Amino acid sequence: MNLFASKDDLIRWLDSLLEKQIVIAPVRVQEQTMFQPISKVEEVIFDFDNTTLSPKGWFLPPTETLFSVQRDDGQVELVPALVEQDAVLFGLHPCDAKGIALMDSPFLQEPGDALYRERRRRTALVGLACRQVQPECFCTSMGSAPDDPSNVDILLTEVEDGYIVQAVTERGKALLPQGLVEYKGKVPTPPKLQAVPIKEVISAMRELFNDPYWEQLADRCLHCNICAYVCPTCYCFDMRDYADKGKVERVRSWESCQSPGFSLTAGGYDPRTTKGERLRQRFYHKLLYFPEQFQDVACVGCGRCVRACPVNIDIREVISNLQQVMEAKSGS
Amino acid sequence: MDMELIQQIRDKARSLLEEGMVEGVIGYERASDGVTARPFFVYKPSATERLIFDETCAHNLVKYLLDKKGKKMAVVVKPCDSRAINLLLNEGQIERDKVFIIGVGCPGMVETNWNHKSETLQAKCRSCQLSKPLVYDFLAGGELARQAEEETYSDIMEAEAESVSTRREFWLEQFGRCIRCYACRQVCPGCYCPVCFAERLEPLWVGIRIAPEENEMWQTIRTFHLVGRCIGCNECERVCPVGIPLSLLNRKLEKDVKELFAFQAGLDPEEQPPFATFKKEEKLEFGE
Amino acid sequence: MGLESPFIPYLATLKTATQLTPDVKLLSVELEDPDIRASFDYKPGQFALLSAFGEGEAPFGIVSLSLQRDGLEFAVRRIGTVTRALQELEPGDTLGVRGPFGNYFPLEDYGGKNIIIIGGGIGMAPLRPVINRILERRDNYEELVIINGARTPQDLVFQPEFPTWMEAPRTRLELTVDKGDEQWKGRVALVPDVVKEVAPSPDNAIAIICGPPIMIRFTLAGLRNLGFKDNQIVTTLEAKMKCGLGKCARCNIGEKYVCQDGPVFTLEQISQFLEQP
Repeated sequence: MNLFASKDDLIRWLDSLLEKQIVIAPVRVQEQTMFQPISKVEEVIFDFDNTTLSPKGWFLPPTETLFSVQRDDGQVELVPALVEQDAVLFGLHPCDAKGIALMDSPFLQEPGDALYRERRRRTALVGLACRQVQPECFCTSMGSAPDDPSNVDILLTEVEDGYIVQAVTERGKALLPQGLVEYKGKVPTPPKLQAVPIKEVISAMRELFNDPYWEQLADRCLHCNICAYVCPTCYCFDMRDYADKGKVERVRSWESCQSPGFSLTAGGYDPRTTKGERLRQRFYHKLLYFPEQFQDVACVGCGRCVRACPVNIDIREVISNLQQVMEAKSGS
Repeated sequence: MDMELIQQIRDKARSLLEEGMVEGVIGYERASDGVTARPFFVYKPSATERLIFDETCAHNLVKYLLDKKGKKMAVVVKPCDSRAINLLLNEGQIERDKVFIIGVGCPGMVETNWNHKSETLQAKCRSCQLSKPLVYDFLAGGELARQAEEETYSDIMEAEAESVSTRREFWLEQFGRCIRCYACRQVCPGCYCPVCFAERLEPLWVGIRIAPEENEMWQTIRTFHLVGRCIGCNECERVCPVGIPLSLLNRKLEKDVKELFAFQAGLDPEEQPPFATFKKEEKLEFGE
Repeated sequence: MGLESPFIPYLATLKTATQLTPDVKLLSVELEDPDIRASFDYKPGQFALLSAFGEGEAPFGIVSLSLQRDGLEFAVRRIGTVTRALQELEPGDTLGVRGPFGNYFPLEDYGGKNIIIIGGGIGMAPLRPVINRILERRDNYEELVIINGARTPQDLVFQPEFPTWMEAPRTRLELTVDKGDEQWKGRVALVPDVVKEVAPSPDNAIAIICGPPIMIRFTLAGLRNLGFKDNQIVTTLEAKMKCGLGKCARCNIGEKYVCQDGPVFTLEQISQFLEQP
């Protein structure tokens, strides 16, 4: 059954949530919108296209301490990091919720990542359906939709005067405020999106691996980490110890396959030395290797990489170029 | 778009490729949003029809020459970009006879975002008076007289007027947003170390932690590595995905170097940069 | 109670550190927790991630002689920050161990076959427990040929064990160096040339090789010339590894994760990788 909440209802509800746990919501930061823990409900932005960085940073932070090393009289003890607070991640679009669900595959697969699992267990997801989409969105080609409730606990859809509130899971139901009335109006039709034939191209990607297309595309790639860092499903990380003022911590930080030196061993061996090989790795990992391991493509069609890439490497265009290469190869 | 100028660029690129004078031409083409521009590498004469030039062509293409060492390449160069050519010539990173410079007089670049082109000129363009590149082999479209709308460094002087604690707070907040994507480093023509100090583990200058103090270390050391070398193209600021006003840092040091040493990088390939030159007459003042 | 995390190493104490060559030390470590020690079950080919606390972690093949659990042995070559820190540890110091990870050499499948072991430099380390396993069950295998090369005589890694290898029945040890010294009376030749000279027969044979990429490349060509099929040649791949769990994706090569699907692969398997190492 769908319920209805006015904007004021929502704000009161968020206020009450804020008293008991962390609330992470879209806020304005300079000219951008970002997911951040809020201190006041007034900070929350309800009307936005999408955030610059995805909300994956709540579950896999850019940097976190995994454990610290304590030494007492020569006795060493390893003290694991803890996750001690409940949280509500508010206002994420269905594409981002799917991104989190995709990240569950590597992180919860046994042996599961304890910190990630604990955050997932303690964080409720309140999604916000998309009433409009941007030209670079293609979630419907990636198995999601602007109104997809699959991966959230509650889904909100904006209508005139307020929001439709759909409790998707038991946890969502338990989280809702009391006293919301039933929504008897029309459920808006989700906006239409362009189709990107990613799935068709993926089936041909094995034959396209050694095509010179990748080196040519990589000519303009800067090999920064922007695409991987804004992406809701890129998750490669680095681990190293930090020794600072007598404290030693094992730290995990974001890193991406685009960095030179990502796969370089101390002895000097590197399987990927050219720009094209590094650029190709990101596409193949997300579109071919990840599905072979986890049965779903690691792209949710959010369009962030398209918007953020400083040299306009556009995954939709790459797919259409690969189709042309496929057609030329088959001589048709 | 000035179609005559664009046709000159296309014709020049085509003839260079057809005559085998260069292996490739680095220029601009329309981006996939249909509004902005992106770098474009042309290897076939027929593809030169895709080359464009307009007020969205902000990218400094000179950095790409470092990926193509040993190959003869042509590159489309705006007046500000030409300072990068001089810098790299001065530092021995490119050979003059391996680069064919297609210079363009520049009307000024506007601020752009994905799928959006504003009417506002970029800050660096508002104070630019260069009517043509400082070095070129062919000038497409001829000189374009420029009138600076603003005094150079007006934004720096505004920031300098703030107290130290205000400035410190401002920068810590800005650095708090840095995600260490290193786009600023990757796009910068002055950043070409085979192993960046930030990737070094011995000695450990920054490490892998992405946090305000480490980010501050990263940004300030990079800025200091550009002292007397930054040519003011502002690409670092343009590519930053979280909107940190990096050009304020780099141009602040450019201003300081100008005032202290009467020197600006990239104006002359034969120049003697103050931080890379030692003269016996220089007085160090300690231990004398 | 902390969160049970697979990223948290087992604590271990360094028992002994033996200098094998100028840059290689053999570390023998004992896991501190007796229950973990008893259940640390590993086979030749598997590796562990050793933590030098304060620096970080790096992967090392578990090369203990008899696969004993009370003393895990690792051959550590000083080449970067973590290996340097591990070599600086003194007996009694604490380090971290995570593992065992990866797959292993399927020695049961090689029963009744002729085995050719070809190792270069530090590449001999993962092959050491393989040799000893074979020597422990000598009758299960036919001829054993060991070809061991290094840059100089000082860089031959397991010299104290050569007498045992040479004296074993139906076993042949061929040593070689790239560059000799005044004392060296043996062969001076590259490993691939020794393979050509020894010319092992591919009949009923398995070749297990490990060493620097260039040695592997030419040795492979030599073995193929002698008639070895790709499913008769086995190697263990090197990769930059961080988590050992298939999560950080750093060792991802083509559709494989070296830390989970490897590091032991046959040539046949490697030739089918989408991306070549």
